[in-house]
Formats: sequence, structure tokens, C-alpha cells
Amino acid sequence: MAQQRPPRMTGPGHDTFWEGCGKGEIRMQHCPDCGHRPWPVVTSCEQCGSEKLKFERVSGKGKLVSWCTFEQSYYGDLLPVPWDTIIVELDEGPWFISNPKGFTNAEAKLGMALKVSFLDCEDQHGAFALPVFEPA
Amino acid sequence: MAIWEGIITGMAQAGFVDMPPSVQEASRKVSIVGIGESDFHLDYRAERERADGWEPRTVEDMCKKAFERALADSGLKRSDIDGLAMSYTYGGPEPSEMATHFGIQPKLGWINGHIFAGPLPNAAGRIMAGDAEVIALVFGIANRSAGRQFGGMTFASGAAGPSSYYYHHPWGWSSQAAHWALMAQRYFAKYGKGEEDLGHVPMTVRKHAATDPNAVMQKPFTIDEYMASRYIVRPLHLFDICLVTDGAVCVIISEADRARDMAKVPVDVAGWGHSLITQDKMKVMIEDRLRPQLQDAGGQALRMAGLSIDDIGHFEGYDASSIHLVNQVEGFGFTEPGTGLDFCIDGQMTLGGRIPTNMNGGNMSYSYMQGWGQVPEIVRQLRHEAGPRQIEGLQASMSALTQTDIVHPVVYTRGD
Repeated sequence: MAQQRPPRMTGPGHDTFWEGCGKGEIRMQHCPDCGHRPWPVVTSCEQCGSEKLKFERVSGKGKLVSWCTFEQSYYGDLLPVPWDTIIVELDEGPWFISNPKGFTNAEAKLGMALKVSFLDCEDQHGAFALPVFEPA
Repeated sequence: MAIWEGIITGMAQAGFVDMPPSVQEASRKVSIVGIGESDFHLDYRAERERADGWEPRTVEDMCKKAFERALADSGLKRSDIDGLAMSYTYGGPEPSEMATHFGIQPKLGWINGHIFAGPLPNAAGRIMAGDAEVIALVFGIANRSAGRQFGGMTFASGAAGPSSYYYHHPWGWSSQAAHWALMAQRYFAKYGKGEEDLGHVPMTVRKHAATDPNAVMQKPFTIDEYMASRYIVRPLHLFDICLVTDGAVCVIISEADRARDMAKVPVDVAGWGHSLITQDKMKVMIEDRLRPQLQDAGGQALRMAGLSIDDIGHFEGYDASSIHLVNQVEGFGFTEPGTGLDFCIDGQMTLGGRIPTNMNGGNMSYSYMQGWGQVPEIVRQLRHEAGPRQIEGLQASMSALTQTDIVHPVVYTRGD
């Protein structure tokens, strides 16, 4: 059964990202002019201003760079507390907020190798696949 | 007059006020001559207790209280105030209405952004441009009475503001506190520190607040009490996070030469700086802890003032969280990266140490005035009127409004 989650950002660019997730891929913007990979989705390159950004698949591999656990509830009944969140440095560079799969924050280690996995979720916009990270 | 034109251009934006250029020609041209605050402590207690007949404080009334106190502090007459700059974070009356409320007839009045520090140099620019001689800058906020929260769906998808506030809802990651929690966890893992080390920062700041009768939270706590306090976003405890408070601050500024003839020792606005994260915000925040921006903006403010970091004897930093105060103490160069917690434990951030920091209790204990609360403490310290928490022989102080992506330091010097 799909997990209920707070809403995604939708619209041009954002939809492309979520479509990729639906196909089991993380697709991120890449700037052909300067090589930068912005995240979250932007309308023009935050490094050089180029508007030629293109979505490309990234490997889905990375390492754990930090983590935190919500003890205060910010989403009411939607999400239980304590609630683990992590931030992953993707091999391609961007720092990506996510959730741990197959480990808890109590077991987290700086630099842990991680790989993406997709979780069936649902929000007010409908069903979607959420990228989460498990030990590689 | 290109300098002043540049300074005034910064005001053109509605809402957030950019810093004007940091140029030496604008250093020490304007002085702070009066300060006033509303009743942070009393108003907070009354709001918590909500006795029969209690009503929330209005922005107007808190601003009036701060203004009257600043006017009395300056020794000026109402008729001396010929400029009024109002700053509100969540809105407030027009300057003309507030002028009537204050009983003044300024020839210049405008809405001067909201959070510190941009409004101060922008108002200074108006004095340098000859638009007014004495300006009352008044900031008011009814954060608490408005039930303001800083996380969850209060920042909905697509709302204005930094994307880090709302973009990560599907992963259940939100809130201002969560930014600081990721920073603290990485700091601990990278430098081999822990919560019991970090706890010394809010404990030190609280110890300072205990000497300020207007601070919201004055009761000192021990490390054991810190460790026993509840978590907000682990690894951060309640005591690591700033307050949510109502209040107002008034700062009266004057042309520097004229300030020499006024009641109190003038405090000169000597330098300011501006730096912004423009890309990879999460990485710059969590990995670099804004060091590039702190170095950049701090360097601008110090060069403008003709000083080095070694000349600064007092710092009022933006302690939205304890770890963020450490970011600033390290990032500006008071101590090396990764040494901030030992520096604090060693007493270097309190009286008798290298850089007494947040001497009135800051955002975590005094009041959350979005940076404006830094000014009254700097003025008291530089006038040598800070009583039991006075830093001996102080000549130069620095404040910094440092959010998740913006750094706005100001350098001040004693003007006698």
C-alpha cells in the first residue's frame, strides 16, 4: 500500500524529475554550458545563468553526509515522529535530502555508501515513486 | 554623489533590503544616539499566562514603547526627529500613521524593509544624502501573537522563500531547525564532538541573559539540564533553538558630527558587508557552514571600517541556533574551523575571553528580533553602560544577521 506523504512540488521541470522517479531513475538538471548540476530544480543555471539546462539520469549512488531526526511533529498525523531524514552527496555532486531505507539514523555513519531505491507513495497530486537511500 | 545613490538604490526593493556598497567614504558618517526596546520579558510572560483580561500586544503599541524609550535615551526632543523608517516582518501601519502615534512630524518617512541589517546602512545613506538629520528606525513584530511557526506546511509548495523551506516535504524534511540539525550532526561526526559539547553554547548565552532583566529567558541551566531537555530535531535540543517572541526595537541615528554634542557617547556605524549563497545551498550550508560568505561579508565590513578581526572585542551573532552561532564565530575568523566548541568551553565567548558573544542572550534567550536586538546591546557595550556584563575597555563591536543563505555583518566603534 502506498505511503501518504506531504505534497511534492509540481510544475515544469519538477514534473520531469518525478516522471523519472516513476521509471526508477533520478533525473537531474545538467548545464551544458558550465557543467553544473543544480538541485532542487531551477529555471536557469544558478552558476552561469544558462537556460539550456537538460535533464539527465544520474547514477543514484552516493554517500551519507549528514542526518537528523524530527522529534517535534511538523506534519501532524501524516508522518509519525521520531522521523528520520538524511542528506546524501550524490556521486555527480548534488546534496539530496531523503529518507533512510534498511537502516535508521541511530546506525548512520558519516560517509556510508548508499544507493537509491524507490518507495510507492501518494500525495494530493496522486501516486508517485519517492527516491530513498539504502546501504550500497 | 555616486556612493549615496548606490546606497539609496538598495532600498528600492520591497521587503528584504539589500546592503548598500561597503565603501570607506561612508564609514563613521552616522552614529547611533538612542536605543529602546519593548518589554520582551513581561510581554512574553503575560502571553504565556494569559490571565483574565489579557490581550495580545499590537505592533503599534510595542513600537511606541520602543520609540519613547529610545527618544528618552537620546536626550533629543520630538521635534529633532525628522526621519522615520519603519521595518516590519509581518506588516504594520504606514509610517505616516506611526508618526502620528509617536507625536512627531518627520519630513521623511518610509517602509525600510524588515530584518536587520540592511535597514541600518540604508537609513544611514539617507542621512548622508541630506534627506534627514535624525532618523528613528523602528522595527516591530508580532510573531508569537500571530501564532507563527517555522516548519511543516506553513511553507507550502510554491510559496515564496528559499526552496529549502518547502521543496523537501515528500521526505518529511522541513523547518528552520532542520537546517541547523543537519549542520550540527555533520559537525559532530566530522570533528568528533557531541551534544554535551554544543550545550555549552546556549548555556553561555543564557548565562549572559541572566544579567539582562528584559531578556525573555533568564534562568541559567547546567549541561545536565541541557541534556535532559527535549529534542526538537535531533541532535538539537529545545535550548539550541531560538525563541519565538513579540516585540519592537527603536534605534535613533544622527549625522556623526552632530552626535558628538548629544547626551550619550555616540556609537559610530563603521562598516557593513553583504554576501549571499547563490548555488548549492545545502552543501554550502552544511559542509562549508557559510564560511565563504562569512569571510566575504566580514572582510567587506572590516575593510570599510579600517579594522581587522583582531580589533573586534565583542560579537552579537545571529543565534537562530547554537550551532549557527559557532558557524559565525569560526567563519568570521575569531577561531579556526572545527575549534568553536572547545573555544566556547574554554570561556573564550564570555567575559574575559577572546570574544564575548551574545551578551544580552541573543535570539535563544533575550528575544527573537530578527537581528534588531543586536543593536541595543552593542550600543550599551560601546557606551560602557552594560553593567555586570560590561566588556572592559571595549572600542569595537560586530553584529551579524546570518540566515541560511545571507550574511549581513555590521561593525561599530565607540565614537569618543
